[in-house]
Amino acid sequence: MNIIVCIKQILDPEMPPVKFKIDAQAKKVIAPEGIPLVISPFDEQAVEAALRIKDAQEAKVTAITMGGQSAKDAVKHVLAMGVDEGIVLSDEAFNGSDSFSTAYVLSQAIQKAGEYDLILCGRQAADWDAGQVGSIVAEELGIPVVTLARKVDATGGTVRVERVIPDGHEVVEAPLPAVVTVSSELGQARLPTGRGIVMAARKSIPVWSAQDIGCDVSRVGAGAARSEVVALTLPIHERKGEIVSGETGAQAAVNLALKLRENRII
Amino acid sequence: MSDKFDAIVVGAGPAGCATACKLARAGLEVLVVERGKFPGAKNMTGGVIYGPVLDSLFPGAPGDIPVERAIGRHVICLLSDRSSVSLDFNMAGSGDRNGYTVLRSRFDRWLANKVEEAGGIVAAGLRADDLLWQGQRVVGITAGGDEFRADAVIAADGVNSTMATKAGLRVNLSPENVNQGVKEVIGLPREAIEERFGLTSDSGAAIHFLGFCTRGVHGGGFLYTNKESLSLGVVVQLKALMESNLKSVDLLESFKEHPTVREYIRGGTTVEYSAHLVPAGGLRMVPRLFTDGLLVAGDAAALVLATGRALEGINFAVASGIAAAETVLKAKERNDFSKESLSVYEKLLADSFVLQDLKTFREAPRFLENQRLYQTYPELACKLAEEVFRVDGKPKKKLWQLARQEMKGRVSIWQLLRDGLSARSSL
Repeated sequence: MNIIVCIKQILDPEMPPVKFKIDAQAKKVIAPEGIPLVISPFDEQAVEAALRIKDAQEAKVTAITMGGQSAKDAVKHVLAMGVDEGIVLSDEAFNGSDSFSTAYVLSQAIQKAGEYDLILCGRQAADWDAGQVGSIVAEELGIPVVTLARKVDATGGTVRVERVIPDGHEVVEAPLPAVVTVSSELGQARLPTGRGIVMAARKSIPVWSAQDIGCDVSRVGAGAARSEVVALTLPIHERKGEIVSGETGAQAAVNLALKLRENRII
Repeated sequence: MSDKFDAIVVGAGPAGCATACKLARAGLEVLVVERGKFPGAKNMTGGVIYGPVLDSLFPGAPGDIPVERAIGRHVICLLSDRSSVSLDFNMAGSGDRNGYTVLRSRFDRWLANKVEEAGGIVAAGLRADDLLWQGQRVVGITAGGDEFRADAVIAADGVNSTMATKAGLRVNLSPENVNQGVKEVIGLPREAIEERFGLTSDSGAAIHFLGFCTRGVHGGGFLYTNKESLSLGVVVQLKALMESNLKSVDLLESFKEHPTVREYIRGGTTVEYSAHLVPAGGLRMVPRLFTDGLLVAGDAAALVLATGRALEGINFAVASGIAAAETVLKAKERNDFSKESLSVYEKLLADSFVLQDLKTFREAPRFLENQRLYQTYPELACKLAEEVFRVDGKPKKKLWQLARQEMKGRVSIWQLLRDGLSARSSL
């Protein structure tokens, strides 16, 4: 079975907030210096889902990422976890791509990579939280998609997915090839092993350009974006303190309750 | 895949990367294991690489090395609680430079990239847990539950070197041989830095403080200029710190509040905070540097020069790393990685500034134990300067009279002379 996992590097969600800067005019996030990007946690879980399938049966797992200079680090990390091959898609033409163009680029790369049975993505990237790429990849490839998986089993031409819904889960089956997006309920992704890390460090990682994967350049990059960022602002955290008093403790409590009611908190 | 390498380097700091770079360039198969998520993630420096040591590995340095500023101004600043007296050596305008300020997360990553470019393998996020033995000989390491074998292992795993300790080459750190450094990187606009410190666009300043910065505790303070930030910190001897019942974070806070320092960092925002141990015992602390199949380099071998003015470590690390690589290459020619064969390492270090400087300043750590250096003398200097420059409408005294007056109750002439002689012989 050939499994493809799409992964994305994002700003480290655990970096100190003081390092998070934006250019409000250009509506862009300014990458902080000295803090390396990390793999979006949902994508790491998509890798985990692929490796769990590979644990149970003969399978080849290929990770694909689109990114710049540091994209190889993401691929190295998943190779160390046990992924067999990694591919980086990098081209200036990709800069400013939105979910549509990103999905187009990924689907072109997936087709070039060879035969595929199952394509796994994170449910959404933990930076912009759009959650569209997986579904659009399926659309581009003309295959079914099942979103929000907490368990993925693929055997004999079918994928069986436990899909998270608000009050539990439902079981969905789809014929392969198919796209499945993985949710955090799948559980922790495994840590790389010593041998895995060394093996990954040794592996050469191919970098494919727009031309390599036969991209129609009018469909990628900022120019092809169908979505537009209208405004980008940093959240302002305001703290207000107010001491509610009363003649007695009981009176203060009543005043507090009134205050809370007044502000529609209770 | 074969798990046998020509050499395994533990630690992707300046020492380890220098070794690996040189070995990989010579065509050896080298594995570097680094426990940080990326090279530099766990490493710390006050901020300066002194001297031309990088030139030998990277001709034309700084070239593309991610240095911050080239040092064109050195200041030694004595602090009392409210004033300061400085010795200011300034060649910033002359174009002459010596040493660079660096930020380690960028610098170390760049170094590790050079290792990879040369064909070395850098495995980050992997901690070396133990040495692998065959009889009395080190034949590799275990890391992440797996075994990796090599003809030679280079322990460049820093001040707390697990590898050198497990090999029995050194004893655990003792508090009088080790300093604790705490540092804040404070962001400031480039123009503000250049204006405040009188610098050109590429030059930088290194300021070393003595006195109130450590509130009299054995140690000192530092301030280095980066491109768009300042590295400000204190380094204190662990033993003295423990005895003082002070915390180094508190020392750093009061250092930041000092009137002289406050103006330097005004308007800045702290963007990074870090703390690390620094070997400071000098020659007496240097462990056995090699055994069968194993070499120790950099901080792991305590190769740091502490003369009270500054701590030089990265240049010693790089130089020892290069010497370790040369040793391994020679051993490889002979196909002999025994203790006897690897003893070349000590000779190489003894012939270079590494062990020579440590020998020259062998007595410095003892001299630096003198409490008066950290309180009496900085205060005396400030007080004396205050008296010299003060015009208060009263009849003036001669300099020597002023000096005697201020020394009274602080230090006797004999103590001063004795400290002077001791400084002469140890510094």
